[in-house]
This record gives sequence, structure tokens and C-alpha cells, in this order.
Amino acid sequence: MKLMINGKPEETTAGTVAELVESYGLEEALVVAEVNGKIVYREQWNGIRIQSGMKIEIVHFVGGG
Amino acid sequence: MKEVLEIGGRRLDSRFFLGTGRYPNPFVQNEAIRESEAEVLTFAIRRVNLEVPREDTILQHVKAEDFVFLPNTSGAKNADEAVRIARLAKASGLSDWIKVEISVNAKTLLHDPVETLKATERLVNEGFVVLPYTSDDPVLCKRLEETGAAAVMPGAAPIGTGLGLLNPYNLSLIIEEACIPVIVDAGIGTASDVVQAMELGADGVLLNTAVAKARDPVKMAKAMKYAIVAGRSAYLSGRISKKRYATASSETGDFPGEG
Repeated sequence: MKLMINGKPEETTAGTVAELVESYGLEEALVVAEVNGKIVYREQWNGIRIQSGMKIEIVHFVGGG
Repeated sequence: MKEVLEIGGRRLDSRFFLGTGRYPNPFVQNEAIRESEAEVLTFAIRRVNLEVPREDTILQHVKAEDFVFLPNTSGAKNADEAVRIARLAKASGLSDWIKVEISVNAKTLLHDPVETLKATERLVNEGFVVLPYTSDDPVLCKRLEETGAAAVMPGAAPIGTGLGLLNPYNLSLIIEEACIPVIVDAGIGTASDVVQAMELGADGVLLNTAVAKARDPVKMAKAMKYAIVAGRSAYLSGRISKKRYATASSETGDFPGEG
């Protein structure tokens, strides 16, 4: 399945947002996900099917002032 | 009685807000945070690098329960982008505090006052504790207060310059007029700048580069901590007025001279 993740075209075999996050080894990390411009909370990740062309953002905290 | 700063219903024993960027390594950063005794730590929000998704993250090294997290909206160029970043930050479940930071000029990183005011208003309405980073404009600071900001954070000088307080007069007006805490944010170079800000009556100081890029960040964090305490105490104590000529510290009467 082709989709845009963090602004780049990516391919994935993940079926859900939860599986997608897991495919990057980020299931334990403090990350926040957005699907097609809408924030999806961790407890929703299992219920959201990955569809071709989805725009997904996965963000986290970095150092800053 | 201990003097406490309160922002968004949270009591803070420390008036030192410390940034978490640009330290030489996580160990030095952690030591600097520990030495600073800061309670409020700032962060930024960025995309995870999917090439190295599990790279070291800042929060791996910080115990969440010990601090108040103040994520910033740095990188945002307008109110819409700032609101989006704020919502993402809040969705982490770590904090509902947000430092609105909207810069359009890459050279100065000076904030956009119009977009900052808009973003502050929207985020206050969404229930965030909003601390906007702003220029040292007394009128704008008042407008931000009226909009519902929990504190205002006027800059001493542009971010990362270390130029110190460029306009102490304006900062003192902001402090005089404000009914909410004033945190002097950005542009600090060294401990004397911090003392000066606190002597003007600032409620706190937020800095990052001045500690992170010092030759010894841990020692500088300590210096800044003491500077905050020294400046605050001097402010509360009421300095003497300046005089043109000397006044002896001892009475002149019974000097043991000849005769």
C-alpha cells in the first residue's frame, strides 16, 4: 500500500495505524499520530485501517527552547 | 513564608524555565537540568525520522513526573500551524501548556505579533495554558493578557543571540502593567543578564542557548539559578537610589585623632 508518511512517499504492508507504528518499532515511544490532518489517539490506532493514499504524520518531542 | 510563582493553577518553586535544545550530549543536558533546579522544561515537536525511528529522544532521559512540560510551536509560520502543533503536543498526554512561538523571519526569528495574538486566542478557547513568546512590546503584551494568556514571555533579544536585555525600559513597562506573570524569554547571554531581568521585576526567565552552548553548561546552569535568586531578592529588597557624590558608611563624629 502506498501512502505519504511524514511528507514522504512510503510503502507498507501494515493493515492498521497500530501496525504501522509498530513497523517502525515506535509502539512504546511517546509519539503522536495524525491521519489525513486529524489527530488519532493511541486507543484508536487499532481501529483505523490503512488505505492507499493516506497522509500520515508521526511526531515526537525533540529538544527546543 | 516561601514566595511562590503560580501559572495556570500550578505552583512553581523555581523561576527558572530551561530549554532542552543544543546540548553537547544527553548526559550534560541531564546534569544541567539537575543543577538548574528548573521545574519547567521546554521542547519542540518534530516529525519522527523514519530512517532512524528509534534514535535517542529527549524524553528518554527526563522523568516526566518531576517537571512541567512546556512544548513550543517553533517552526510554525502562522496561527493555523501553531494551533496544529499545540494540538499534537497536547495529544501526547504530557501537558496542556503551550509556548506559542510563530516566527517568519529566519534571520531574526522575531515573532509575528498578529498571528501570535490569533493563535493565543484560539488556544485559550481550546483550554490550553498559553504562554506566548513575544517581542518586548508593552501594548501587545497587554493584549495577550486580555486574550487569556497564562503568562507573557517577551524576548530580551532575538533567540540564541546572547545579546542580553536590549530594551530594559520596555521590559520594565511590560512588568509594571502586567497582571499575569512575565517570563523574560530568549536572548540571554550570561548570569548578569538574568540578574538584570529579575531586578526589573520579571517573574522568571526562560533560556536555552546560554546554558547549552556555554563552555561548561552544567556550571552555567548553576550560575543562572543563583542569578535568578539574587536578582529576585534584590528586586524584593528595594535598591538604594543612585547619588552623584559619596556618602561615608561610618559616622564621622568620634574619629580617634590627635589631641
